[in-house]
Amino acid sequence: MIQAAHLCKTYVLRERNGLFRKKTRKEIPAVKDISLEIPRGSITGVLGINGAGKTTTIRMLASLISPTSGTLTMDGIDAVKNHLQVKKRINVITGGERNLYWRLTARENLRYFGNLYGFSGKELEQRIDRLLRTVGLTEAQNIPVERYSKGMKQRLQIARGLINDPEYLFLDEPTLGLDILIAREIRELIRQLAKEQNKGVLLTTHYIREAEELCDSIYLLEKGEIIAQGTKEELAELFQYKPRLAVQTDLPADSPVWEALRQRFPDHVQVSPDQPSAFQVEGNAQVWSQVLNLLLEHQVPVEKLNIQEANLEEVLTGILRRSREGKA
Amino acid sequence: MRKILLVLKAEVVKQKQHDYHSYFVYFSLLLWPILGFLEVYFTYQPFTFTGYLGITDSRDLLAFLGTGYMAYTCFWSMVQNAWSMSWQEREGGTLEVAFLTPANRLAMMYGKALGALIQEVWMFCCFCLFVLFYTDTLRWDNLFLLPVFLVLLLVASTLWGGMLSALCLYSRDSSMIMDIFETPMNLFTGTRIPVSCFPTWAKLLSLVFPLTYCLQIIRLVLGIAEPGQRLLPSLLGLLLCMGIMVAVTAWVTIRVEKHNRETGELNFY
Repeated sequence: MIQAAHLCKTYVLRERNGLFRKKTRKEIPAVKDISLEIPRGSITGVLGINGAGKTTTIRMLASLISPTSGTLTMDGIDAVKNHLQVKKRINVITGGERNLYWRLTARENLRYFGNLYGFSGKELEQRIDRLLRTVGLTEAQNIPVERYSKGMKQRLQIARGLINDPEYLFLDEPTLGLDILIAREIRELIRQLAKEQNKGVLLTTHYIREAEELCDSIYLLEKGEIIAQGTKEELAELFQYKPRLAVQTDLPADSPVWEALRQRFPDHVQVSPDQPSAFQVEGNAQVWSQVLNLLLEHQVPVEKLNIQEANLEEVLTGILRRSREGKA
Repeated sequence: MRKILLVLKAEVVKQKQHDYHSYFVYFSLLLWPILGFLEVYFTYQPFTFTGYLGITDSRDLLAFLGTGYMAYTCFWSMVQNAWSMSWQEREGGTLEVAFLTPANRLAMMYGKALGALIQEVWMFCCFCLFVLFYTDTLRWDNLFLLPVFLVLLLVASTLWGGMLSALCLYSRDSSMIMDIFETPMNLFTGTRIPVSCFPTWAKLLSLVFPLTYCLQIIRLVLGIAEPGQRLLPSLLGLLLCMGIMVAVTAWVTIRVEKHNRETGELNFY
């Protein structure tokens, strides 16, 4: 198990004050007092919006950067002091198209990184064959990476991250910018790695659904701090995100239907200030059908219906608000 | 040891796969060094050869410049490689992924240097060897010297390249290495002008470059050295330089990794 206790990371920046004036030293705390555990055979999620400190956390846990303070152990080994020893047993997969040699083919990339981990010969070639099959790149293995689509590059990143058969795998937004089908395939692969191959997986994402679908336990990060943590069942209550029904009508602003809506659904209906003929309905499906029935009664034609999911920022804002109210 | 050799091999093979994609690459490997070589040759050719510094005719001049440019190209390609590696691999994010592995860092640095060296200079070296045969500097009776000076050149320039690669890891703004080394290395190391022609300050400056000793040894071995030169001081000078280079590379590599783990700068480009 990977155990991080009270990890902090502060970057020191030197701000320029003109060509001949001394630079100002500025400390930027990126991660503050994070403690978490990554057991083998499970997926641990770190959720947060951009700038929450997810990438710094993952880079610290993967021994790419050293913490300013705190302890990090892997199966009892001090991972800060013995970072080279630990690196044999971990790997990192990031979203995006970097971290690969674009002019090399998939096989050549995997062979190079495999060699760096000390693998060679038949053992390495067999491992590459297996990984290429796993990520579905066997057919394209001899094509230079620069000709790959975004999804193919991401799948190759996954194969690269598995080349040393790591015991712990860090995934930094692995489905970022991918289409639904490929993202689903990758999520399934992540699940298999943890559940069937007993790897400890840490996943950072800003997709709530992804975290809910995959993670056994979740840490919520905001401005470098953990603001909530627990199993996904424990956090489901905390998330409390309710989808909203967006309704577009051609109701004039002075229509008596508005009054009827406000009277019957005072807590659920919100009129859009910039679009007077549109409104949003909070609540469950029952409330939505009651609202639609009311429109039907008044023979109001509905032009457009849309279900709006809450985004992570709104959920985090809600959690922060509730946590502050709780403290008050 | 097996893992170190594996890392060296991986770097050499990777560089070949990365850089060789068309015949233009081979063309440029040969064209620019030959143009530089010919420029100096034809600059000197109109002057009368007086036997000064052992150069008595145009064949001696060709042999002098052939050895000079061959060694210089090896060392200069290392400077170029260190600089290009520092930004290319940072930009691609592959440098950080390489540092994510437990691979021996020194082997990585020397592998990058050796890979670049073998690729970038082999064609021009073939041309220079042709020049040395043409000028009777290399003959059947002294052909056994060829592997000696090729190995010497290979080892010295790889150590030089490894050190520069390590230095370039420290900062992405390391292009100044190109400016620092280009002209001084060409001018003061005896590539095209014998070191004995220089004033004392320039002679002292020439001692800083391992290329100076390397060239002196090669020319001594091939019998085209300036009169009065001895092998032992040059050999000791080169060994000292190589020792210093290895020590600096090892120290800088450790220091750079520590620095990058503190600042996270390995990922910046």
